[in-house]
Amino acid sequence: MNKKATMTNRERIEAILAHKKPDRVPIWPFAYGGFATVYTGTSISDAYNKPKVAYEAQKKTCLDFDWVFTPWIGYAAYGGWEFGGEIKWPSGEYAQAPTVARLPVETVDDVWKLKAPEVATAGIIPIVTEFMEIAAKEQLDNEPFKFMCACMGPFNTAGMIAGPDMLCKWVIKKPDAAHRLIRLATDHMKDLADYWADKFGLESSLAFTGEAIATGQLISAKQFEQFVLPYFQEAHQYILDRGYKHIYCHQCGEQNANLEHWAKIPYGNPGIISIGHEVELETAGKYFPNDVILGNLEPAIIQSSTPDKVYEATRKNIQDGMAKCPGGYVFSPGCELPPMASVENVKAMGQAVEDYGWY
Amino acid sequence: MASEERTSEILDKLRQAVYDFEEDDAVKWAKTALEEGVDPFVATLEGLATGMIEAGEAYNRKEYFVPELLMCADALYAGLDVLKPAIDASGRTAEVKGSIVLGVVEGDVHDIGKNLVKMMFEVAGWTVYDLGKDVPLDKFVEEQLRTDSDVVGLSALMTTSMLAMPEVIKRIRAKNPKVRILLGGAPINPEIADKYGADGYAKTAGTAVDEAINLLKMLKEEEGRK
Repeated sequence: MNKKATMTNRERIEAILAHKKPDRVPIWPFAYGGFATVYTGTSISDAYNKPKVAYEAQKKTCLDFDWVFTPWIGYAAYGGWEFGGEIKWPSGEYAQAPTVARLPVETVDDVWKLKAPEVATAGIIPIVTEFMEIAAKEQLDNEPFKFMCACMGPFNTAGMIAGPDMLCKWVIKKPDAAHRLIRLATDHMKDLADYWADKFGLESSLAFTGEAIATGQLISAKQFEQFVLPYFQEAHQYILDRGYKHIYCHQCGEQNANLEHWAKIPYGNPGIISIGHEVELETAGKYFPNDVILGNLEPAIIQSSTPDKVYEATRKNIQDGMAKCPGGYVFSPGCELPPMASVENVKAMGQAVEDYGWY
Repeated sequence: MASEERTSEILDKLRQAVYDFEEDDAVKWAKTALEEGVDPFVATLEGLATGMIEAGEAYNRKEYFVPELLMCADALYAGLDVLKPAIDASGRTAEVKGSIVLGVVEGDVHDIGKNLVKMMFEVAGWTVYDLGKDVPLDKFVEEQLRTDSDVVGLSALMTTSMLAMPEVIKRIRAKNPKVRILLGGAPINPEIADKYGADGYAKTAGTAVDEAINLLKMLKEEEGRK
């Protein structure tokens, strides 16, 4: 611990969630995927299909870099495998995450025949369960929660069941089919929330949701209002009623036009809103004045820039976040920390927080 | 043979069918065009393609989004399916504005953006050699050499797969320094495109064609100065 530090990383998050100021801005990076496994000398695919390796990699990485640690396995293509399709693990030099190799749904008829999967055996869930059983055995000084419970997102999961392009077309051409898929995905979110709560309790669980497809790069704010908002409202309310205190929600990509809708969704008291670099911290702070904003350094900068530039971009980010997020601010990349980011660049992020992040 | 007024009406219906993503109307009016003797080239370029260009403009104005563009594309291709046999039978070939090799780089399967870019190039009169997604690096080099294309367009959505781009660019340049290279995809920005050695960057599918045309103009100006 740094000489100035009066709190552990766990205490920092606990303070922010209690609407109090921590001693310093915490770093809670989106580093659950390949960065941790690459850093610790294994492969990107290990981050998704080797629970013990993934857990140890996340743990070591978070300790080495003085980060908040909330063990988690999840992936943006969630839904394709879980609803009956097939997955391809990342392999080769340039792949970053699992992808859907065969969609479970190809036609509208398939949609009406599709049934929600049994959670315990769905796709990656047995792997995640094993991972969480490992995580449940300890809670370190940098762990505000023993794990994040993956509940995913309704539109995103639907997009991975039928393919994002097909879902986009059905939004216009076959809205009943689109709604049916999103309904199944929403019910599955609730099933996931129940499954994790029943299996691991709620004492130290943080619910995770997110959307990577329902962005302004793909759909309009009006389509978001019709096909995303009501389902997220329903799923989040269910998760909170189930007893989860906070929801960590990753709102990926361009969301500026959707913020008025995102702001109508319950996240707990407070919620934890993870935003991409496309949304200004000040804007997020205005839409979510009572929630913790987590973000939002552009991942490509961390990977492709120099340590000096990463340091400078982080400095600006944390100064904005500290001043303009009244519900609390946590530093993070705006999306997944690039697996191939250099250690020097990642250290530059931490150095900027160390130099400018004290309250 | 349709009158000038009737031809104009049919072209407008074709344009509107694509813009309004009415696939059945596009088929219906394409058949009408053939039945009434409208030149299938004109029906394609001044009807269907014009509708798609207008849809692209609506996308740039954020009035249309990906769902609308994909539906417009379905209407466009449905109409083209009707007109294409007549175009092929005529033996005529359209004026080609340029040629581009397109693909999503190795390690990446996200191809919605690339598919939209492909469509915008096609309606703008370019010949497109679409390599698909998760394309091995050397395939871009081989396809550019095979087709002697003016431009190579590379797309990536992930920070890991974007690392394939400078390697592809290096390999293409080693074989053909003149070819212009255009990058696109969520993690790319002008600074990164420049750092990777690309000639241009397209933020959206709607701007990709204009960017490619600019690249070709610059290439011709450079050659003119030599």
